[in-house]
Amino acid sequence: MRRTQRRAAWNAFAVGLFVVMIFPVFWMISTAFKSDDEIVSYTPTWFSLHPTVKHFRDAINAPFFWADLKNSLIVVSATVGISIALAFLAAVALAKYRFGGRKLFIVLMIGIQMLPQAGLIIPLYVVLARYHQVNALTGVIVTYMTFALPFCVWTLRGFIINIPRELEEAAMVDGNTRLGAFLKILLPLAAPGLVATSVFTFITSWNEYIFAQTLLNDQGKQTLTVWLSHFLGSSRHTDWGALMAGSTLTAIPVVVFFLLVQRRITFGLTAGAVKA
Amino acid sequence: MSETEGVAVAAGASWPRRHRRLTAARVRRGSVPYALILPVIAAIGAILGYPLYNLVRLSFQHYGLFELIRHQGQSVGLRNFSSVLHDSIFWHTLVRTIVFTAVNVGLTMAIGTAIALLLVRLSAWARILLTSGLVLVWATPAVVAVQVWIWMTNFQNGIVNYVLTKLHLGDYSQHDWYATTFSQLGLATTLIVWGAVPFVAISVYAALAQVPKDLAEAAEIDGAKPWRVFADVTLPFLRPVLLILTSLSIIWDFGVFTQPYLLIGQGHIHPGNYLMGIYLYEEGYVKTDFGRGAAISLLMLAMVALLSIVYVRKMVALGDET
Amino acid sequence: MRSRVFVAAIAAVALGVVAATASASPQQAQANKLTVWLQVDAQSGWPDIVAAANAQFLKDHPGWTVDVQYQNWSDHLQKFDATLAGGNSPDVIEMGNTEMTKYMAAGAFSALNKSSFENAPQWLSGLAKSGSYGGKTYGVPYYAGSRVATYRTDLFTKAGIKKLPTSLAELIADAKKIASQAKSNKGFSPVYFGGEDWYVAMAFVYDYGGAIARTHGGKWFGALDSPQAIQGLTAYKNFFLATSTASKTNDSTNPNPYDVYAQGKSGVIVGPSWYSCCVGAKYKTSTAQFVLPSHVAGKTLPGFLGGSDLAVPASGNAALGSDWIKDFTGTTSEKGLQAKGNIPNATNLLGTSINERAAARSWFVPTAKHWVDVENGNILKNMLGQILTGKLTVKQAAASASDNITSVLNGS
Repeated sequence: MRRTQRRAAWNAFAVGLFVVMIFPVFWMISTAFKSDDEIVSYTPTWFSLHPTVKHFRDAINAPFFWADLKNSLIVVSATVGISIALAFLAAVALAKYRFGGRKLFIVLMIGIQMLPQAGLIIPLYVVLARYHQVNALTGVIVTYMTFALPFCVWTLRGFIINIPRELEEAAMVDGNTRLGAFLKILLPLAAPGLVATSVFTFITSWNEYIFAQTLLNDQGKQTLTVWLSHFLGSSRHTDWGALMAGSTLTAIPVVVFFLLVQRRITFGLTAGAVKA
Repeated sequence: MSETEGVAVAAGASWPRRHRRLTAARVRRGSVPYALILPVIAAIGAILGYPLYNLVRLSFQHYGLFELIRHQGQSVGLRNFSSVLHDSIFWHTLVRTIVFTAVNVGLTMAIGTAIALLLVRLSAWARILLTSGLVLVWATPAVVAVQVWIWMTNFQNGIVNYVLTKLHLGDYSQHDWYATTFSQLGLATTLIVWGAVPFVAISVYAALAQVPKDLAEAAEIDGAKPWRVFADVTLPFLRPVLLILTSLSIIWDFGVFTQPYLLIGQGHIHPGNYLMGIYLYEEGYVKTDFGRGAAISLLMLAMVALLSIVYVRKMVALGDET
Repeated sequence: MRSRVFVAAIAAVALGVVAATASASPQQAQANKLTVWLQVDAQSGWPDIVAAANAQFLKDHPGWTVDVQYQNWSDHLQKFDATLAGGNSPDVIEMGNTEMTKYMAAGAFSALNKSSFENAPQWLSGLAKSGSYGGKTYGVPYYAGSRVATYRTDLFTKAGIKKLPTSLAELIADAKKIASQAKSNKGFSPVYFGGEDWYVAMAFVYDYGGAIARTHGGKWFGALDSPQAIQGLTAYKNFFLATSTASKTNDSTNPNPYDVYAQGKSGVIVGPSWYSCCVGAKYKTSTAQFVLPSHVAGKTLPGFLGGSDLAVPASGNAALGSDWIKDFTGTTSEKGLQAKGNIPNATNLLGTSINERAAARSWFVPTAKHWVDVENGNILKNMLGQILTGKLTVKQAAASASDNITSVLNGS
């Protein structure tokens, strides 16, 4: 009896927490549907009585929306795909092998994450310019990878470390080389961890602004976050409705992606410690 | 970039030490790990190698706009470093940033862990609702969240002022939330913590799911208070996850730039409310003193390494034989 | 299952790489491309004028293409710095006129032949000054804007104001009349502008004959502590306290004055003339503009002549960049910009619009290469906040700001 009452109380609390936490997101979405007058009004309109899709139309018709959406998808898919693949290999090495320089490599992986990225913008730009990678999606992909790899290696190492040796040894008895055993056994067991790391990398790359803004000049080549910044870039009147609509549109792919893989994540994170 | 949080679960694989003979096969096998880490090293090295070298070299040069255009700096030895270290603004900013980091990391970890503990106690529908909310928050890009915050705290028609006044918590009808440093940094804290909590909550929740239920139940049956159960049974399992999340939070919150800079706005930023990330940007890049900016970057790296050394060492040691 | 994950990963990678390489620009084939950086204001405000200039340029230079890349005011300088470091700057760049001096002093631009530009002899002096350094011309004036008062004609009528104010004293009296008519309107401000709006505040300083800083002997000296400047600042303080209920510690960007106006919470707002675009449907027909009066009856308050210049970075194509600028700032273009509510760049093109009347008496920031640092350091804003909140007296705040400005402007 007490338990159900307690549970009901927790549930109620959770709903309250949800409302408070989600409020800014709600405000963003609801503003996107309001008319201009309602947006600047002193008495806030919680739900517009005459919702309009004008702002969404303005946002979608803003120059280069579809091109920049495509660019974001390309950049993020490539970053996630390549980073996970390379990081997985390195994480296997770190977790399952002993070799000279191992500790140094681990420290390097965390050390790079400690670098203030703002300090690297111009030196990075100079290097990329030399190889004609400025104003190119490949330049951005390569930049994102550089910062995603240490994080992915770091995280995947944690997942792989816990996969018991007995499983590897069983596979080796079956006649595989040590590496072959790892790939055959580790890959499926680490798949949830791979998915989890991919999501984190996806979200971080999707929302990245500073490097994309500096490296991409052609509006047709920019990513969605840079596209969004143009709503605020003028010295004149800011179209708040379109900005909120654009922001909502920008957030949608991330939510979709997460919803697609979210079951994997909880499964993946909980399965991180596979006990034989 | 960087909500660099991750999950690692405690454990250890250990290799028994055995004397090995050096054969050709063994050498080939011995080179396997190097082959596996080579792509990562090559990728990072190719892109970051020269910029890192350049950053260090710049820190020893006088390199302003004039030098930038001519691609040629003047060597000045340690002058950049000594100028920064003798700048009282640097030290004030450092202290302010350490306090700011402590508050942000503390709040993020406490609230995130609390939400994770809450998630365990919910019915399925409530759990899905709350998790979906966390995801929506997490998916919102920082620049977008800043705009919403600015909009909500607008001096004339912001919703926060309106609600606070309506709730009779005082007359907030024309309250300027950006008038004092405390208020500005407080708002920045709410924004950052709001954005960082989902990740911590979801990670800790996943780790909680590994705590053997029987152990916790046994402790409860034995009459242990919930707090004791948490401290003695649950916490040891959570330690590795909390270690990682805390250390990465420290690294990220120390150097955070986007949220406070956009929220407080170029118009209100002054040395009295600098955070390290903003200090680097203003002193190095807005003033186009790139040599100084490089020196500040390296000093920041040293500072954050110092702040997180305890946690990092623990993590590096994970998985080693004792 | 695992192979599916693996295959999916490889496919994503391959797809990404292929797509990225396909969309990466083949730099070799674009040898005859002119790169122009304009702000997004042009993209949303007068894309037709840009298109016309491009068409003219292409006619004169067949075989070339023009790539106009639109930038944001907030970070275009950081992007420019990166291109300067990388050696791939655009061929033409739009710079704010307060941003020019620092870059001219550093040698970022190619010198231009002033006489080759239409109407150059009649360029507005305020604009022309911002584009020249060491006797050479580096920036071509593109357009400018001044500051005017946008007001509610119905409120003025209701308050019994028969004619527009011709002096500051009259304006203050009018503001008081309007306020008495709006007692029940909570949060109403007779005149709305932020306390730290230094564009308005400095207008008062220059109106009394003061200045922000003066130069002689190659050094700069902050001048806000001069008696005239202090008179101006005191007049500003009185004006603000008498007419505006806006925040004392905020400038006029958030909230926007026209949003306040659209809510019926203000009788007069001070700002660029394009504010009339956004006064809301309710007050569109009862809105008009006038030029702010000086403290001297019959004269106008000097308006800040904000604007943009066009320059050619040193690593860009000087000849063709210059040609494009000629096409974009020729008489036809400028007349087009004028029609959109801007001030054209030459006196012979000036009409009698409110904007241009306001520009008759104008002021500009000190043309010092470190001026940008004064703006970014918010020295003026902080000073105004201190004065209005009463934290410091006018004399104290002005003296401290003046010292600050002196040291910043003379920094190396």
